[in-house]
Amino acid sequence: MSTVLSDGVIHVSDDCKACDHCTFICPTGAISGELGQKHHISPKKCINCGQCLINCPFNAIDEFSRVEELKKALADSQKFVVVQEAPAVRVALGEEFGQAPGTNVKNKMYAALRKLGFDKVYDTEFTADLTIMEEGTELIHRVYGFLGVPGFEEVGPLPQFTSCCPAWIKYAEDNYPLVLPHISSAKSPQQMWGAVAKTYLAEKLNVDPANMFSVSVMPCTAKKYECERPEFIASGHQDVDLVITTRELAQMIKDAEIDFMALPDEEADRFVGLSTGAATIFGATGGVMEAALRTAYEILSGESLGKVEFDAVRGLDPVREATVEVPVKALGTSLPVSVCIVTGTKHVASVIEDVLAGRSKYHFIEVMNCPGGCINGGGQPIRRDTY
Amino acid sequence: MKLFHENEGITRRQFFKGAGMLTVAAVISGIFAKFGFDVFAASDDYITQRVAGLYTLDESMAIRKSHENPEIIQIYKDFLSPGKLVCVSPKAHHLLHTKYGQDIPGFIAELKNPHYVPEAEPAANEETSAEEPAA
Repeated sequence: MSTVLSDGVIHVSDDCKACDHCTFICPTGAISGELGQKHHISPKKCINCGQCLINCPFNAIDEFSRVEELKKALADSQKFVVVQEAPAVRVALGEEFGQAPGTNVKNKMYAALRKLGFDKVYDTEFTADLTIMEEGTELIHRVYGFLGVPGFEEVGPLPQFTSCCPAWIKYAEDNYPLVLPHISSAKSPQQMWGAVAKTYLAEKLNVDPANMFSVSVMPCTAKKYECERPEFIASGHQDVDLVITTRELAQMIKDAEIDFMALPDEEADRFVGLSTGAATIFGATGGVMEAALRTAYEILSGESLGKVEFDAVRGLDPVREATVEVPVKALGTSLPVSVCIVTGTKHVASVIEDVLAGRSKYHFIEVMNCPGGCINGGGQPIRRDTY
Repeated sequence: MKLFHENEGITRRQFFKGAGMLTVAAVISGIFAKFGFDVFAASDDYITQRVAGLYTLDESMAIRKSHENPEIIQIYKDFLSPGKLVCVSPKAHHLLHTKYGQDIPGFIAELKNPHYVPEAEPAANEETSAEEPAA
């Protein structure tokens, strides 16, 4: 086993010039060091988000990498290697190959992954849709429980927090254990995908889950920590075996001398690969909220949404709020659903304090650690041209 | 040279001191302007572009709501809640839900127990009625 759980994913290398920039970026105050001396990250406080890494002016912060292990697994004919990629990867991977930020390269990405030797190429967006089904249903149950509908006495309290961001989960566990019952029990899309792959998919493809090697390409360094958490063994095996970041995938494509932009457009494999627009926007701040609203609105009201965009939850401000009027068919009334979106863990403390003090007016709160959402995650291409 | 000998002027030493300090100040503000403000301006820029990329991709998708994904409906009917569409079914609860903080050691013991029986079996009926509009 690797040492990610005890030592963390992010480390300061000897190139550190002690400029102190990272201590201002870090949302948890995990980085310390005397002026002029190499800085140090406390693994206990660090939430593995990697914001220090992508913002370091001297490229002196490294992530724990298992790319060599992945290359061995790909070369091993005994192993059936499957891969999933997060929504945020497809709009940033192209930047490593000369494209403008935001260029969608998902079809070339599928082709590149097949060229690298992955046996099947799927998409995390499938389980992002599954997350919406499970997390949205959980929210509806919590609302019913709050309104005193019989049969829902055992559900958790309101407001409900999202659970997709592993950096936010570690932050809450480390700093606010009392808020944990408010966090949705639904796993993140990555871990749902891992659990479904080694059960449902293994059954469909007639592959022994023990020989299946599940890889995930993420815009995130905290996902490396998440996949090794000991509780993610619902399939009977480690659900996701290995995580690489967008940067590491780009490096693998370059190392294999694949001409990325010249690749043909391909599609993801079926069974756990088809996805919707609701899943795509998971990579942007407010996206999980918008996807959940699209589904919750239609399920609760029983009617179809005319306009699927919820512009009120979009934007880049660190804390945003909106109220959506949802007609509830089962209760015969209309319910004003109050939602809040937090992007940047630095801004979440006051929202949590309000919830714990019972002052919060919200029903559903989305928290993403990285400013702007997963598209600005710690595993994304570093914008050196901005320095 | 006469300039530096006059009493009302500044000495040569003072002139170099002043000029040196001005140069240092100019260099520091120049560096900050280049490295400081640029970083924030540019970082907002690429974040906006990546977000816009995702929203554009969303608009181009044929299906835009999670509960309309045919493969999602299929996984519930085939596997998670055989024969019907029930979210948070016992199997979905086992595979797709987790616990946090202090509850984790007990949760792991529960998962490792080979005689594990999914709990909350009777609750499934009520959830069926609540989920009916989804099907």
